[in-house]
Amino acid sequence: MSQFLSTLSYFFIPGILTLVIVYGLYKRVSIYDCFVDGAKDGLRSAVDIMPFIIAIFVGIEALVSSGAMKFFEGLLSPLFNFFHIPKELISLILLRPVSGSGSLVLMERIMADNGADSFAGTCAAIMVGTCETIFYVLALYFGVTAVKKMRHSFAAGLVGYIVSVLASVYICKFI
Amino acid sequence: MNYIWAGMVCIGIFFSLINNTLPAFTDGLLDSCTRAVEFVIGLSGIMAVWCGIMKIAEKSGLIDAAARLVMPFIRYLFPKEHNAETIAIMLMSFMANIFGAGNSATVFSLKAMERLDAENHYSDTASDTMCMFLALNMSMIQLVPITVIKIRSQLGSSDPSSIIIPSILVGFLSMAASILVCKFFERRQSKP
Repeated sequence: MSQFLSTLSYFFIPGILTLVIVYGLYKRVSIYDCFVDGAKDGLRSAVDIMPFIIAIFVGIEALVSSGAMKFFEGLLSPLFNFFHIPKELISLILLRPVSGSGSLVLMERIMADNGADSFAGTCAAIMVGTCETIFYVLALYFGVTAVKKMRHSFAAGLVGYIVSVLASVYICKFI
Repeated sequence: MNYIWAGMVCIGIFFSLINNTLPAFTDGLLDSCTRAVEFVIGLSGIMAVWCGIMKIAEKSGLIDAAARLVMPFIRYLFPKEHNAETIAIMLMSFMANIFGAGNSATVFSLKAMERLDAENHYSDTASDTMCMFLALNMSMIQLVPITVIKIRSQLGSSDPSSIIIPSILVGFLSMAASILVCKFFERRQSKP
């Protein structure tokens, strides 16, 4: 089953490309012109989102490099104890919503310290594999649009995140 | 957004003052600007490719066909969304998420958000559709977390891909939770 799913993922991008191009040829669309046209749009969007990405990177870096993150870790550790979440995972849980690459590095460190197949290591892997960088996503996507009131999307993301953290830990206890 | 960003930076400055980490703070800040620009440049290449491919799919009618295929599912999650093209882009973003296509997913999601924003009647407030789309985006399952598996095997795990099934399970739970939260708020607010 795992094997099958990996293969499927492996073929996703080439598969989509083939499908689109073959279908386009079949419908006699001028493929090259369309591609160039679309690519132009894409580049324009990339320039449009650049300022928002810089803002988010700066904001996150401010929290991490100042040691504010460490402080919140200490603040929240009783709560994590209560849910029987191993303390090795606390910093990962806090960092995951804000930084994708940061949490990858942290996951690597947790695995290196505790062993890749240890409880904490497996939990960390599942967490990084399932959770999203919700603050980053919110900031970026709402930054690009003019939306100022994001209503319940924050709650939905946060609840989803908490559920996935708890589920990662408890499902891990069974394997 | 104003407050969140200001909060992040101010909290950062406050803590770097009391922790005496101002030099690290400054370095980090300058460094992060560079990384942000590098990130966008990396992203823009993929963005161009996928937008090009999407254009072909749009012109050939493939997008309409795909959107029709998933209509029943979309009708439940996004009852107010009727534009086939927007639905198709949202669908592509979900697919890219599920198959772990990383930055490609970001590209589609951003495109979809732009379109949803254009259709939104109250430009400063997120629509139900936008909220649901983001919630799904933030909790979407990923079939194979490729990067994680790679790191696991590098660090000598006995069965690196053993996390796939538990991950999917966790993903489903969190996705269900997010959808429920969204539906709850939608119902509550639609009552007079």
